[in-house]
Amino acid sequence: VGAASPALSSQCKMAGVTIKSNGLKKESTINPTRTLTLTLSLSHTLPIEGQILEVPVGAQPPNPTAKCPIYRWNLQNKYNYTDVLLLSQFIRSDGGMLPRRVTGLCPEEHRKIAICVQMAHRAGLLPDHKPKLPEDHVPKRPKPELNRYLTRWSIDSVKPIYKTGLKWCKKRMPVGHPILKNNVRYGVKPLYIKH
Amino acid sequence: MSSFSRSAQQWATFARSWFLIDARMQPPGKIATMCSIRLQGKHKPIYHALSDCGDHVVVINSKHIAFSGNKWEQKVYSSHTGYPGGFKQVTAAQLHHKDPKAIVRLAVYGMLPRNLHRRTMMQRLHIFSEDELPYDIQANLTEELPQPREIPKKLSEYTQEEIDAFPRLWTPPEDYKMK
Repeated sequence: VGAASPALSSQCKMAGVTIKSNGLKKESTINPTRTLTLTLSLSHTLPIEGQILEVPVGAQPPNPTAKCPIYRWNLQNKYNYTDVLLLSQFIRSDGGMLPRRVTGLCPEEHRKIAICVQMAHRAGLLPDHKPKLPEDHVPKRPKPELNRYLTRWSIDSVKPIYKTGLKWCKKRMPVGHPILKNNVRYGVKPLYIKH
Repeated sequence: MSSFSRSAQQWATFARSWFLIDARMQPPGKIATMCSIRLQGKHKPIYHALSDCGDHVVVINSKHIAFSGNKWEQKVYSSHTGYPGGFKQVTAAQLHHKDPKAIVRLAVYGMLPRNLHRRTMMQRLHIFSEDELPYDIQANLTEELPQPREIPKKLSEYTQEEIDAFPRLWTPPEDYKMK
């Protein structure tokens, strides 16, 4: 904020008069004995200071040589849409995913986490990560407050199944996502995706 | 058991009990299976189809039911009034808005055996859309059944200690402006 513009300072040096040049102040000829303050006064400036915080070193990953963070911590097929503590590390404050080049995730895991984050948002498990709307925003039609979980498709994009069809050509209602089919299951029952 | 008197034993086997099920954040199908088993009396070793051994079941919070997948938009409930042009098809969301008890009631109705006992079993099923129960039903309740689905915790419900105990999986680069 208080940076001196190089053009101004060079001009001052040529003239032989040193002026404390501020980027916000207008250029003027100042008599060294008298001080002249101009309209844009310094009190209107807000000094902002950025500090790089020292993050305390926590637990070490069990597999440090892997490239993707999920492979480093051996969580490959072990997370779901309910593991919000894991998913919240990869999202922005308005709910969107962080880019893969920043988080360092491999493409498959990035896609899996994106899908789990989508399902968690639709299930209402991330209430503080909503996008910021202007204060006078009025929704066009009243949103029904219905509880849901494992929603694959977006709510507005789905059409009702008026004719479900016969047994050999039944139109099923998908639940969950097939990308998570390799997840570890600690029971006998197989994953049931087409309801 | 040998320590109980004969009359107490008889009473315990043949009495009609009242079960309570909380349907908050539960899938209505799983609630309906639990209800239908107890309405028929199939949870009792003395079950027989003719011996009228079903129990009463009270379902509360049927307004806060949770469907998996996109069933609120995709599942369609059809009915026909009998008159020409009277075929009505309503999505689950619309039906729930009109009558919050209908989804659970229709689910249980479809799971009961298709005989004349079905209507009497439906009369023994009591569904309430919210928490409040009338006093006489509340006085009759004997047992509360555990919920079939584990409700996942929201991020705001985790304590700060639990959030801190979870390790950071990746460190952001120094020049990246977070969020």
